[in-house]
Amino acid sequence: MNAATGTRGRPTAEAIRSVTEGLRLTCGDRVATGQAIRDQHGHGEGLADGALPDVVVFPQSNDEVAAVVRLCAAARMPVIAFGVGTSLEGHVAALYGGVCIDLSQMNRVLEVHAEDLDCRVQAGVTREQLNAELKGTGLFFPIDPGANATLGGMASTRASGTNAVRYGTMRENVLGLTVVTADGRIVHTGGRARKSSAGYDLTRLFVGAEGTLGVITEVAVRLYGIPEAISAAVCQFPDLKSAVDSVIVAMQLGVPVARIELLDAVQMDASIRYSRLDGFAAKPTLFFEFHGTEASVREQAETIESITGDHGGSAFRWTSSPEERSKLWKARHNAYYAALALAPGSQAFATDACVPISRLADCVMETQADIDATGLIAPILGHVGDGNFHLVIVFDPARPGDREKAEGLAARASLRAIAMGGTCTGEHGIGVHKLDALVVEHGEAVSLMQAVKRALDPLDIMNPGKTVPHAGPVAGRP
Amino acid sequence: MTAAAIDALQDAVRAAASGGGRLRIRGSGSKDFYGGALEGDVLDTRALRGIVAYAPTELVVTARAGTQLAEIEDELARHGQMLAFEPPRHGPGATLGGVVACGFSGPRRAAAGAVRDFVLGVRIVDGTGEALAFGGQVIKNVAGFDVSRLMAGALGTLGVLTEISLKCVPLPRVERTRAIDCDAADAIRRCNEWGGRPLPISATCHVAGRLWVRLSGAGPAVSAAAVEIGGADADDAAPWRAIRDQTHPFFAPAVTGPVPLWRLSVRSTAPCDDLGCDTLVEWGGALRWLVPRAPVEASRLRAWAAAHGGHATLYRAQDKSPGVFQPLAPAMAGLHERLKRTFDPHGILNHGRLYPAF
Repeated sequence: MNAATGTRGRPTAEAIRSVTEGLRLTCGDRVATGQAIRDQHGHGEGLADGALPDVVVFPQSNDEVAAVVRLCAAARMPVIAFGVGTSLEGHVAALYGGVCIDLSQMNRVLEVHAEDLDCRVQAGVTREQLNAELKGTGLFFPIDPGANATLGGMASTRASGTNAVRYGTMRENVLGLTVVTADGRIVHTGGRARKSSAGYDLTRLFVGAEGTLGVITEVAVRLYGIPEAISAAVCQFPDLKSAVDSVIVAMQLGVPVARIELLDAVQMDASIRYSRLDGFAAKPTLFFEFHGTEASVREQAETIESITGDHGGSAFRWTSSPEERSKLWKARHNAYYAALALAPGSQAFATDACVPISRLADCVMETQADIDATGLIAPILGHVGDGNFHLVIVFDPARPGDREKAEGLAARASLRAIAMGGTCTGEHGIGVHKLDALVVEHGEAVSLMQAVKRALDPLDIMNPGKTVPHAGPVAGRP
Repeated sequence: MTAAAIDALQDAVRAAASGGGRLRIRGSGSKDFYGGALEGDVLDTRALRGIVAYAPTELVVTARAGTQLAEIEDELARHGQMLAFEPPRHGPGATLGGVVACGFSGPRRAAAGAVRDFVLGVRIVDGTGEALAFGGQVIKNVAGFDVSRLMAGALGTLGVLTEISLKCVPLPRVERTRAIDCDAADAIRRCNEWGGRPLPISATCHVAGRLWVRLSGAGPAVSAAAVEIGGADADDAAPWRAIRDQTHPFFAPAVTGPVPLWRLSVRSTAPCDDLGCDTLVEWGGALRWLVPRAPVEASRLRAWAAAHGGHATLYRAQDKSPGVFQPLAPAMAGLHERLKRTFDPHGILNHGRLYPAF
């Protein structure tokens, strides 16, 4: 049996009809069964192939979500939570049909406590919306995975992104959650206090569970003061190892750089063309951003510039004006589209891995050799301060065997990272695409994860087929 | 030797599982005072000793659970690094496993994060005697459920920790403590005001009419901040270690005497209401230690903490009948029991230490 496909079947037409009727009683006309809406909800970003839910419902409150989940539990119908569909590993594909809960109408910022540096929002609030609503408070929410994802989706996938070196990931920044459990109960984990609630740290269990243990409906997160000063710099290197070594030294010294992003020569070439970055060469490049007071930003930048200089880096190119800085980071965020533009008519998907930082240069260079051997185009970029890197694999869907080659390349990148003491995913998640790699990485421990899944979702209705492979009970475990 | 120690530990768990016994996980016993009932035969973790891997360039240390914290922190300090959550020891023999299982973090917590934020991976023996590994040695890992963080603060009720990987951080280049004479309300107001600004504050504490503020970081930033926050230099009298390990005189009535010690975790702007207790405030207002001047109803403290976004723990007490931890809402209690049954189906490990029911 393929790890991704269990023995579960799709709901019968009769079950779908009766659940849909129940949903209409609960949510009125906020229930959709049309093909276009179902198509839109059947996949995230990345590979276009998805699986359609039977129904999409748009609840507006915790109670409505709970009622939807109770209906689905009674009919043993799958429940898939959906934010704005920016996940990358097939997280929202309705593998067994069922009900997609679109949380986009739960998009209110509920409370902002500026003095306490926290806020509570509904799951459908996007990070850009949150930051727009925080204008005037002097605070911001720093986690930035690139896409304008919802906070609920970011919590569910334990998102991180370019700011993680300084501010951490969703794991460290979620203070508490409201979750609808698989039996349709509403629970509150954590709280406003820094040290979460009494008992087990269930917040940490639901964060990153990809909707397989419950539906996250509200998220409380930490906020940060907008830095008094921000500056950005770009530095180019003769080779990849020099760039990575610079970062290792910087981390050793504890320089609190806000962002350090690596683009390899292929990605730099793509971004120079796509984002019109004038005056740069197609060489391994680091983008830096510094946050702090005027004095501390200057000191950080001077320290880093001397480190990169020691490693053969070019002189820093400064972009202190907000417009230029934003152009630079836009170029970084558009890396995926820049890669796609390298081969018109192609498709692309992103995969990620994370290794101990001392192995990062080796892992990236071996991966580059592997890419060359396949003949595909696959730029590499990464959040290099964490040892986390991404591969944007471009392939031509019309050319026979191309997609298989691309998938093979992604799978080997996972295994290579695991063999180097790393993980098959540092931030995109397992979803449906990396279940096999999870088993390689965690071995026996997967059976305990499966037991956790059975304990919290005994009917296997919460986003079934994701995060942990299907499995029946094992002897000795409940 | 370690393999043999883990085998022995697995055998002990399996024997308890088949014989209906119960086990009480224990390192040096420095935290025997903490939590609910101590039930079952002692399962000593101290044979699981030693640092397994430490490459300073990775900023990651992996050590066996029975290793003394002092040994780990000394080794890190030799390489200019530290555990950022400043783990409380409460005794010279304190082990890594104990501090992770208790979920204890010290004065730097508000600035740097909690112990669970630094746990990258764990090895455990679960309640069926199975040895399992979760997470790993890299900073970011989103592969599967975050079981390793669930272990932090679970008080050993979900598994016996045998090995832990932690993220470490470079030692600050400069550290300075300032003292400002003010009352608690003023101290909390000041701390919250500073909290939203990029100041290198690594710890705060208000006790007996004085606010202590520790600054850590690069020289110029620390000097600038020292001027900005005011007060006077007080490095020689800095109370951080005494607060961390509760050797500070404030704690004496509870540590050496019969008075209970309450730990209230609340939002940092919670007011300074008179709860009939002497109070020590840490974490910019988010942590309040209370020593009652006369007996205080547990329910009153718990209601006050809940009203301010948090909870109250009976941290030290001779009489634990009010319950050590804030009671769980029914739906949460249900989730706890299901998780406990998943990890420890026979209810062997540290029964009653977290909640009486399991």
